[in-house]
Amino acid sequence: MEIVVFTKRVPVTQEEELRILGDGQSVDLSKLPHRMNDWDNYAVEEAVKLIEKGGGGVTSVAIGDSESDEVLRRAIAMGARDGFLLEANEVLQDPFARATLTYNFLKKENMPFDAIFTGVQAEDEQFACFGGILAALLKIPYAAQVIGIDAVEKDHFVVRRELEGGLQERVKVSLPCLLSIQSGINEPRYVSIMGVRKASKVERKVFKASNYTDSGKSLVEITKWVYPPKKEGAAMLAGDVGEICSKLFAILKEKGVYQ
Amino acid sequence: MSDVLSASYVLVVAEVRRGLFEERNLDTIGLGRLLGSPVYLLLPDNASGVDASIVDKVIRVGADEGNFQNPLTMVSILTKVFETRGQPDFILFTHSSSGAECAAYAAGHFSLPVITDVSGFDRPTGTFSKSYYSDKVFAQFKSASSPSILTVRSGSFRDQVTRNQATADTESLGAFTAQGGRTFLDYVEEAGGAVDITKADFLLSVGRGIGSKDEIPRYEELAQTMKAVLSCSRPVVDKLWLPKERQVGTSGKTVKPKVYLAMAISGAFQHIAGMKDADCIIAINKDPEAPIFQYAHFGIVADVNKLRDKLIETAKAS
Repeated sequence: MEIVVFTKRVPVTQEEELRILGDGQSVDLSKLPHRMNDWDNYAVEEAVKLIEKGGGGVTSVAIGDSESDEVLRRAIAMGARDGFLLEANEVLQDPFARATLTYNFLKKENMPFDAIFTGVQAEDEQFACFGGILAALLKIPYAAQVIGIDAVEKDHFVVRRELEGGLQERVKVSLPCLLSIQSGINEPRYVSIMGVRKASKVERKVFKASNYTDSGKSLVEITKWVYPPKKEGAAMLAGDVGEICSKLFAILKEKGVYQ
Repeated sequence: MSDVLSASYVLVVAEVRRGLFEERNLDTIGLGRLLGSPVYLLLPDNASGVDASIVDKVIRVGADEGNFQNPLTMVSILTKVFETRGQPDFILFTHSSSGAECAAYAAGHFSLPVITDVSGFDRPTGTFSKSYYSDKVFAQFKSASSPSILTVRSGSFRDQVTRNQATADTESLGAFTAQGGRTFLDYVEEAGGAVDITKADFLLSVGRGIGSKDEIPRYEELAQTMKAVLSCSRPVVDKLWLPKERQVGTSGKTVKPKVYLAMAISGAFQHIAGMKDADCIIAINKDPEAPIFQYAHFGIVADVNKLRDKLIETAKAS
């Protein structure tokens, strides 16, 4: 089975204060560390598990600037056979434009695949719809938020999709298809620095995005970046660690959950 | 062009689970109201509990929910709606597993603009706000053409819902059978565990910011000392540090304890949705900009593991 997995290099923003530049023109990401989008780790792992069991190969594809080679090396270290970079120096904020670019690339390069995996969403833009748009453009079935692949047959998968509140639905999806893979579906394997170094000896191909953008126009655009609307916010408890502890216990006692 | 093609309306695609009309549909209907045009509700035929006075028309589809909430069927249904009622100005879905799935597929199929997880609308500029970086900043999006497809964040617009005096007319769209490429089989319930976190008065909830699985036993100790029940956010379950039954949030459990003490949880929207109705929310986080401080009643900026050790020590000494 041939599986194409899309991987993305994203900034790590969890403990960072993000600054909006100018009059809302952009967000300053220049000093942030980057890594592979967390959901993509699960997507790569799931694809590699499938080919380890049933044979075939995994191709990791990233869209981004040359730095994105880093996530391809990581995917190869996890077991992907090769890595393709669709090099674009401009960030496409419109998921439709990204999907169209990708569609053109897959068609023009005649990429063979039985299945395409993506992560459920990217940590940065959190659109959660690149895969769905791409599947529709390719006219292949789509299932999002896949939390289990229960059966792999010659012409179909049976997968479990995560819904809300602990509910899942089982659906049968014909091949070729596109699945978006949910975190928690597997335990992504550990990748050592040595492993990544070894992976860098595997050739990665670079394609210029500008060769595939003929119809990749944007249907939506960002007019402005803004900070989140400020709510009332929390009353902050200050002091040294001892004082904070006493204040915290006082609140717990007042609320009647601690004696 | 015939009249039908110049129709102006907002199409709201309902989300229905096991026959029930999901509460988050109120947010899609509320945004529909803000957008001004008549609101048409697209509904699978097994839906119940729908208040037809909050929309202007109900379109019943001859498909049950498993088939209706299938992106491959949804594009056929929408094609029929466009043919018979004209194209709407907006097509709204819930921002949920199935809502986002159908919205994306429809956008690709019809080559329409799509903006997901919409939580704000600015009328003067006609822009929609969408979260980036787990709510650290928001982007205001403008759509270049119509109709636009939007998925709507739960809790964002339900206070905009208004009631008509009369119940809306119901029309029927005809039957749709399952498409070949994807078929619904059945629902699977995640197995329940030994602990029911929804019953606890006091939850001590931990997030990925605690650092590693090795820290868990000390949090269990703290929970035990304070007589709290230990719960967690999604990444903690994904990393297998705690079992799924402990997870608070959209894809886990919705909880309403007297006190929710969140340690090292940044406050992704999906987590907030599962605990925002707690009587008292106390958040402890290293990052003063963590979104959870916007929802908490009390906040502490601190090294969480250090504060944990001090809390255990203080509780044991008293």
